[in-house]
Amino acid sequence: MRTSLPGITATPWSNGRSKDRVAAVTDDLHYRFPPASAYRLNRCLFAIKSDREFLARYVADPGAASTEMGLTADETRDLLAHDRDALVARGAHPYLVFMAELRLGMERETQPFEFF
Amino acid sequence: MLVGAFAVAHTPQLLARPETEDREIVLRVHAAFARVKHRLEALRPDVIAMVAGDHIEAFFLNGVPAFAVYAGLEAAGTFGRYRYRFPIHEPLARAILEQGVERGFDLFSTQDAPLDYAFYVPLHFTMPAPAVPLVPLHVNAYLPPQPTPRRCYDWGATLGGILGARPERVVLMASGGMSHFPGTDRYASPDVEWDRHVLDVLRDGRGRELAALTGEELDKTGNVELRTWITLLGAVGAARADVYAYEPSWHHGNAVVEWPV
Repeated sequence: MRTSLPGITATPWSNGRSKDRVAAVTDDLHYRFPPASAYRLNRCLFAIKSDREFLARYVADPGAASTEMGLTADETRDLLAHDRDALVARGAHPYLVFMAELRLGMERETQPFEFF
Repeated sequence: MLVGAFAVAHTPQLLARPETEDREIVLRVHAAFARVKHRLEALRPDVIAMVAGDHIEAFFLNGVPAFAVYAGLEAAGTFGRYRYRFPIHEPLARAILEQGVERGFDLFSTQDAPLDYAFYVPLHFTMPAPAVPLVPLHVNAYLPPQPTPRRCYDWGATLGGILGARPERVVLMASGGMSHFPGTDRYASPDVEWDRHVLDVLRDGRGRELAALTGEELDKTGNVELRTWITLLGAVGAARADVYAYEPSWHHGNAVVEWPV
């Protein structure tokens, strides 16, 4: 039975996950600093998510839209394959990958909405 | 003056209702939102100051503010088929911005940025009619390095002081949380146990203790957005949380909470 919270790293509800860790070390976090090398990839994912005109171009011709964003052939391959792990390994922000995928689903109306 | 304080989930599936969701869970969260709406109607706020974590919507990698104040005439956004637009309470937005800077917080401001669904989803369910003017307040939740929980708490304490001295009746809302891991392989494993411990702490009026969390711990427990709650906690002090609902789905710890002020 917990009666006090003397310090976060020593509390039952921390589950010991952050013991002896340094907050500034971000490499093993779910959401990491997006490396500059992945900027164009992240910009493309952001545009799919938030730019309706770009989204329409992407749906019409994903390859051409990826080229427009300056993606490399490898980045384009992983993007078109919806390979989340590969994209994240390249430095794509996981939330952008997730939401770009969701917006594509909404645009293509492959996902049912307002089901109940 | 501050007349009310709430924390609300903004899980998009609460709005979109895809068939992936458990209908009963969603409807129970809707019922909690309805309670908030009734409370807002009773509180008659002149303005809703809403703290939300930006989902890389208003701000991208060309400019990542830790804390931002939206001080435009109105704010609009889209989410899929949904279109929304809210009037902004410019006098309060300016007061928060100017007095916040004066009190040592180097706030970012914008008069033109898309309004994230983090604002819209809960307001879709809770906004009284006619719409109460809004002041959107951003906290960086998703783009490291985010502000520390301590800094969020301190900003909230300063924000509470500013709101308390204003003539308007202000409701403070925090949008976000609880545990979820969008875009990661933990999406289907929210840390419900951790959420429940946090809610127990908040029911005890010990919200100040959340300021001692680390950013890493928030990330590990799927609670990067709890920064919005921690900001609110700085403003409400030792008030004891009234938890309207905690309804964890397969991917999201949906919570709706009120603090007496």
